[in-house]
Amino acid sequence: MFFNSGLFWFFMGMITILVGVGFKAFANDRGWVLNWWKWLLSIIWYVIFSLSVLSFGTLSGENEGSAGVKILLLGLFISIVLGVGLGRLLGLKTEGDGTPEA
Amino acid sequence: MNDEKNKMSRRSFLKAAGIAGFVAHTGGLVAAGRVSGKSSETYTGWESNNPATNFFNRKPFEFAGPAHKPVGEVRRPGHMTDYVFGRVATFERAYRAKPEWRLDDPLENLELPPPLVAFYNEFPERLEWDFRTFNETIPNNAEDRRKYGNYYFLAEAYESGFSAVAGYLPRPDAPPEVSDFQTAGFGGMKQPIGKPTTFKSKGLAAEFIKEMAHKYGATLVGITRTHSEWLYSEGWRGCPSDYDFSEMPKHWEYAIVIAVPMEWDVILSSPQFSTSMDAYNRVSIAALRLEGCLKFLGYPARAHTPNTDYDLIVPPHAVEAGLGEVARTGFCVTPELGGNARMAVVTTNIPMETDKPIDFGVARFCNKCKLCAESCPSGAISMADSPDGMVLRGYEHWYINNGACYNYWRENMGPMGCRLCVATCPYSRKDNWVHSMARVLDPRDPSGLTSSGLLLLQKNFFDYPEAVEYRRPPDGHFASFRPEPDYLKAEKYLDIKITKPKKGG
Repeated sequence: MFFNSGLFWFFMGMITILVGVGFKAFANDRGWVLNWWKWLLSIIWYVIFSLSVLSFGTLSGENEGSAGVKILLLGLFISIVLGVGLGRLLGLKTEGDGTPEA
Repeated sequence: MNDEKNKMSRRSFLKAAGIAGFVAHTGGLVAAGRVSGKSSETYTGWESNNPATNFFNRKPFEFAGPAHKPVGEVRRPGHMTDYVFGRVATFERAYRAKPEWRLDDPLENLELPPPLVAFYNEFPERLEWDFRTFNETIPNNAEDRRKYGNYYFLAEAYESGFSAVAGYLPRPDAPPEVSDFQTAGFGGMKQPIGKPTTFKSKGLAAEFIKEMAHKYGATLVGITRTHSEWLYSEGWRGCPSDYDFSEMPKHWEYAIVIAVPMEWDVILSSPQFSTSMDAYNRVSIAALRLEGCLKFLGYPARAHTPNTDYDLIVPPHAVEAGLGEVARTGFCVTPELGGNARMAVVTTNIPMETDKPIDFGVARFCNKCKLCAESCPSGAISMADSPDGMVLRGYEHWYINNGACYNYWRENMGPMGCRLCVATCPYSRKDNWVHSMARVLDPRDPSGLTSSGLLLLQKNFFDYPEAVEYRRPPDGHFASFRPEPDYLKAEKYLDIKITKPKKGG
């Protein structure tokens, strides 16, 4: 089965890098300077979001679709709330930040 | 200016690629999750006969034991009293002889054996339930089966394959001092076992025996010393009625406890579509194979299995052997299989290292969960906040009203039995990352917050039909916890008249 093969997870790893690069470009656009803790918080946010999506898939795979949808909705709600907070934090200018790339 | 434009378009490209990656990643996670939820590799105990199925690291949760400490006078279980099938069969014989007997008549009029009279005096509610089973439930069920039986026809067909094989398995036909010292041999030619083969150490003997148990089909295996107080007080297989049952045979020194699960999708469609027979059969065969191996090595052995009967009770031995803990349902809940574990024991005297009991949080979890009790259509499972004061044969632990439980067995449809408490138990789940995460985190959280959080999700996000829905119409509609697997859908495969039960009849 492709979706639990090593090759699939290799592709998923590559895609994750692409998401990271895209996020960096997006941050630069917004004038955000990403230091280590901002990256860390962003990664944590992405893990929470990914786990919600993965839970939905897993539970629907084992015939618990309704629980899967509820967990997905809860996960999305948490992700949105945290995402708004994270957006504000990422926009903060901290001492020692360089000028963002043009 | 051009450079600036190029820079901007490069950044736009990266942003677009990032968005595409995000969408692809999300889709990939859904697909990977679905595969993980469906994967046959997550059906613990069904993938292969190898030790990897015994995957939970018990070491951090071991304690010296024993897990069972007497709080009163200890008495052995009786085949005719505690053992529900023995009891209802005895009651049925007496009741059929006096069909005019009613609950308010004197018990003596039924001419029951004195041990059963004493048992009914100790547990009067069991008498009420046993009477109701034969007076009301079984006649109603015969009517229901005429009406709706075909809807469950394939579930019964599935079960019958396993039951048929059960009849061929050998049972001891002589007392332990004789039969345990004979090999079955080819064509039933019994031979005395040879000289015991010496192992280099007790630890290596245990290691070898466990490996063999897995190879023979066991999903879980643990070893403990056999406890004489958990042997039946009479009626051991192959023994005449005047046999001295007071002493445990010396060669029953060790109890090797093995467990296998019932098929996962089928068990989740309890109580109407599930069967115990698949696991009964598999665990019985595994235990008989192990018995054969031990006898080949020159050690006396006797398999106590669901298909060939038991001379002892299994759950307390399983707990002492570190397979799991006693749950609210009275059975042993294991980390790998939850309650979905059918067990057998092989008694022998090969010197082996024994295992220790474990505490991985079931007792604390059961105190607050109660999902099995809330779902139980017969109300056989206690709703108490703790098992304090529940003393059974001298030990304090959870136990159920097996009269009420058996009554529902005779009310429901499909293969006999219920198993709903197995299906509803949050520990009885397959081996994918969602449940593995719970298995790893919960036992290591002394605050209990993890289990409370998981229970909150379980109760609010997962579907739990009301207990009454599992009952016969008009109150219920013979609900199942989860839909039956496709291959048990009679409507899909059979060209016969099928009536699906619905609420109101």
